[in-house]
This record gives sequence, structure tokens and C-alpha cells, in this order.
Amino acid sequence: MSKKILIVDDEAHIRSLIEQTLEELEDEGVEFLTAENGEQALEIIQLQNPQLVFLDVMMPKMNGMEVCRRVKKELLLEKVYIVLLTAKGQELDRLRGQEVGADIYMTKPFDPEVILDKAREVLQLEN
Amino acid sequence: MARLTLKSIIAKDGIDSMLTSFIEQSGSSLCVEDVSGKILFGTKNGNNIFEYPVVADEEQIGIVKGDERANIIARLLNHLSKKESEKKKLGAEVLNLYKEINLIFNFSEKLARTIDAPAICIITLDEARHVINSDNGAIILWDESKKKPEVVVSSSELFFAQNKINHQLSILLNIISSGQSEIVTDTSSLTAAGIILPEVQSLIYSALKVNDRMMGAIVLGSNESMPYTAAHLKLLTTLALQASAAIESALLYEKNIRESREREEAMRLVYEATGKFVPYEFIRSLGHKIITDVRLGDQVEKIVTVLFSDIRDYTTLSEQMTPEENFKFVCSFNERMGPAIRRNNGFINQYLGDAIMAIFPGKVSDALYAAIEMQKQVDEFNADRIIKGQVPIRIGIGMHTGSLIMGITGDADRLDATTISDTVNIASRLESLTKYYKTNIILSDACMEQITDKENFHLRYIGLVQLKGKQRSIKIHECFSGNTEEDIIKKQKTLSVFNEGMDGYLNKSFNTAIDAFLTVAEVHPEDQTAEFFLINAKHYLKNGVPENWAGVLEMNSK
Repeated sequence: MSKKILIVDDEAHIRSLIEQTLEELEDEGVEFLTAENGEQALEIIQLQNPQLVFLDVMMPKMNGMEVCRRVKKELLLEKVYIVLLTAKGQELDRLRGQEVGADIYMTKPFDPEVILDKAREVLQLEN
Repeated sequence: MARLTLKSIIAKDGIDSMLTSFIEQSGSSLCVEDVSGKILFGTKNGNNIFEYPVVADEEQIGIVKGDERANIIARLLNHLSKKESEKKKLGAEVLNLYKEINLIFNFSEKLARTIDAPAICIITLDEARHVINSDNGAIILWDESKKKPEVVVSSSELFFAQNKINHQLSILLNIISSGQSEIVTDTSSLTAAGIILPEVQSLIYSALKVNDRMMGAIVLGSNESMPYTAAHLKLLTTLALQASAAIESALLYEKNIRESREREEAMRLVYEATGKFVPYEFIRSLGHKIITDVRLGDQVEKIVTVLFSDIRDYTTLSEQMTPEENFKFVCSFNERMGPAIRRNNGFINQYLGDAIMAIFPGKVSDALYAAIEMQKQVDEFNADRIIKGQVPIRIGIGMHTGSLIMGITGDADRLDATTISDTVNIASRLESLTKYYKTNIILSDACMEQITDKENFHLRYIGLVQLKGKQRSIKIHECFSGNTEEDIIKKQKTLSVFNEGMDGYLNKSFNTAIDAFLTVAEVHPEDQTAEFFLINAKHYLKNGVPENWAGVLEMNSK
């Protein structure tokens, strides 16, 4: 099965920044998927089975917390590794992130190196 | 940046299906290969006699083989490659900018966690050396108090030698202060002056300044000759700008802390000094903690024991001294008396020249212990005086227990801590009596009644006295615990005979009194109090006493 990463953010520039950050993984056969809202993200997760999801918390329609909760608690897709992305200064979300089953949580502005390392780790790719 | 591959372009956005339908509709056959010759699309065919290269960033990434119509596909793929390449470049640039923002964000977060200037410098240098790869680095700050630059933090002591900077300051300043930030590729003058390590080939520096005021500089050094770029300079300037503001705040904070400590210390000294003028005990009695809370008209009434002490024949003594000697004498005397009073829970209400008025808010025995200790202090004081060939002094102490008003009098602009009480007058007059009765310590009956541990003191009753201006007579007692050991032993030995004498005297049995006091004199000829009563008894025996005489000694003088 091919390795897939889903990037969910309502802001296009964040999506392309994350994609750009992870670009070198493309050469190693990783496929990037993107979604611009929670509903779309849920759909793609069920259809495409990405191993790793970068999920923004603050989004219209369905926020990241809710997406995460549904994936982990309702669809019981435990193996999908979910990285919650939240704005700096809203670290209180961390607790709620744990409640809804997020695997890890990172703040924006994110450190590109940290994101890349995390993706390699989750997808078990050699550095 | 990852290399652009033809494979990824074809895989994108349904390009492959577009190619498929083009081939189907046009009926031509073609194949697309990457640079290694691997077929990405189509099939190899003998008819593929035309070859059209696909280029991205001036580098061939593949080839389209087919008939003439393959040219169209090659042009399309070239166009897509160009677009994709541009997109990648732009993306990489944005990512770089984002990394920079992230760096600055993290840096300012780190700075915000400290308010200590040297720590800020360490963080700044670490960050700068991390993002701008350098062999050496240092931060120099201008020390305003020392009027010289100080190497606050340095990667190695030798990179920027502090002692050399002090001597070769002008060379450094010429380079550092010439611009805001710069890359220096000619380090020869600095190397020659010994300011930097000889292997350093180039420097990059940025001034640390706030509102055009130079605070110092951050300097990085490299052993390579051309390692630094304009981008580095821009980054260093940004770091320097942030660090400058943080350092400025830290220095201001430090200054504020220092100044407030100094103010606190000054306040403490003022409180300490005022505490010496107005005892804390006095202020506490008024229900306050500090003197600034005291108001005109504050007052409190308390039952206290007032102790009065005075130097005998001080007038005669002082006549033999210059005013300065006099002052020194009183000071060295008071230096001994004050602690004796405080050690026994009293406080000095007033020093009145050679006299001392002390207040004991607690037990009466506190005052008595203090009086005894004062007598002992006088003995020690005298031992000193005798060695110096000076005459010994004596003090008299009187004490009385009663109510006393402590309060703040004066006017809005001049306050005084005052005591108003008859208790003070009585204590003062009892002190005067010691001259006549030839005793060291006299206490009133009011004191005597309150002493619960009489067995700890040597006391004897010395009759009744009517003080000037008073209607009622009061009983008084002598305490001789502060006397010499010999005197104490002899007074104890003659105590019962003395009491008989007093008894006879007060009952107008002057013969009995005279016999008793004579007996005392035989054992203890120095008992001047007994002698005082002997003379009085003899006088009354000879001249008679009025019918209503009750043994009261009337004191008309103060």
C-alpha cells in the first residue's frame, strides 16, 4: 500500500507550506492529499486511508477536534496518526486534543524540521 | 529542493489520461521516457523516429519519441515542467521565509523568558551561531559605568580578547561603529592588533542599538574567506534588533531593582534612626507598627513602672569638666545604662542630661532588675574612672508604679512623643530622696505590692514620706541588691534590728529606735540610712514631735 499524508487546513498557504516542507518525501513515493475543511477530511480519510494526517484545529464547518474525535472514537481508525495543529497561545487545546484521541499536537507557526522528522518517523522512512 | 521529475508531472492532475485520449484520437503512437530511458508512457515503436527533449531548469528531464505529432506533446510537457518548476521555486522561497519567521518567533519567545542581560546575550549568540554557520562569535556591550566595551559572551576567550580590546579600542571602534552591520573580509588590522584569533578570515557583525544609541555589537567570525552572504547579514540584523530591545529592557529592569533596593536600604536606615529617637515600644503601645502611622493626639493609658536615675552631685562634677568632656562623660555613662534597661524589658523614654527616665510596661521586677544592673554598671564605670585617676560617681534610682499616658503632642509641624503622668513625678521625687536617705534605690509601696518574687531582692522598709505637693504620705522601701557584697551581708545581718528601729521610730518610741540604730551602727558603721534615722530619732527625742506626728518625713524640696 502506498504511503499517504493528508494535509487539512482551511488556509491554502498553510496547506502548500506543509506540502512544500514534506516535498522531499514525494521522491520516496509518498502521496500527498489535501482537504480544506473537516467534512472533506473525513471523506478522504475513509476513502484513501492515509497513515498520517496534519489536522488544523480551527476550521469552519467541522473543526479539527471534531474530525479527530470521529476518526478515533467513532470510526475507530486507531492506526491513523493524527497531528493536531493549533495556533500558539492556545496551548490549552492540548488537553482537549488528548481527550479526542490526537496522537500529538503541534503549534503554528510550526518548525518545518520538526514536521518533516515527525512524518518520517510515522511513515517509517529512513532519513 | 527536490528535483523535478517527468514522472511526477505526468502523474499529476490527469495528464496521463489526457495523453491517452490524444493518442487515441490522433491515431499516432509515441512514448515518453525519463532521462534514464525508462518508459513513463506509451510504448516503444519503430515509427518513433522523431525525438523531442523535455527540459526543466535548463536540464533535460526526459524525451518524447514518436512521429512529428510528438512535438505537440513535448511542447505541452515542457510547458507543464516550466510551470511546475516555477511553482516549486516559489514554494521553496515561501518555505524559506516561513522558516525565517519561525526562527524569529522562537527567538523572541526565548528572549521573553529571561530578564537578565548576560543570559539574553548568551541566547542571542547561540541562536546567531546556529543559523549563521560560524566558527566564532562574541557579543560586546558598552559598559556605561566603566566607560568601556565589555565582552559579555564569547565562543572562546581568544576570539575577542578583552584585554586587547581595552588597549586597542580605537581599532575595534573604527570597524564596529563604521556601519550598522557589515561583512568584513579584511581582518588584517584586527588580527595585527591581536583582538581576534589569527585564523579568523572574515567577520559579520551587527550593531546592537536602541533609538540610534549604540549599545554594542554582535560579531561572528569564520575561518573561511567568503562564507557570509547578504541573507546572513539580514538575518543577523533582525536578531540584533530583537536582542537590543530585550537587553535594553533587562538593563532598565536591573537598574530599577538596584535603585529600589537602595531606596529600601535608605528607608531602613531612616526607620532605624527614628527608632532610636522614639522607641519602638512607644509606637507599639500607641497601636502602630511604624512611626509614619503616628498622628498628633494619639494616646494610650497604661499601668507601668517608671524608673528615674540621676548622678549624684553632678553639678559639682560637671563644673570640673569642659562642656566637651561633660558631653563625653554623659555619653559614656548612658552607653552603659541604656542596654541595662533594654535587657530588662524597659525602654528609655528620655535622656535628660545626666538623668534617665525609663518605662517598664511589664513586670515591676523588670525595673528592679534593671536598677540593680545599672548599679553594677556604675561600679564597672567607676573602676575605669579610678584607673584614670578620676573620682568615682554614684547614682540614685527611684521608681514608682502607676498609670501613665503616652501620647503624641506638639503641633502639625513638630511632634513629640511625650508621657504625662503623676507616676513620673513620684518616681523622680523618690530618686531625689536617695540623697537624704543615703540609699541607692528607692521604690514606692505601689511597686512593692506588685513584686511577686520579693525573695529575689534585698529590700527593707524605710518609712513614710510626704512628697511636696502631695496630700497623702506613701510608704517607701530600699533595695540594696545592687550594693557591694559586704554591704549586703551586713545589712542582712542587721535587718531585724533595723526593722525594730524603724518600728520604734514610727511609733515615737525614740529611745527604742536610738538603741536599735546604734546596734546597727556597731555591726555596720557604714549604714548611712540607719545613721540618718538615728540622727532624726535623737532630734525628735530632744525637741519632741507634734501630737499627730505619724512618722512621716515631709519633703519640701523637690
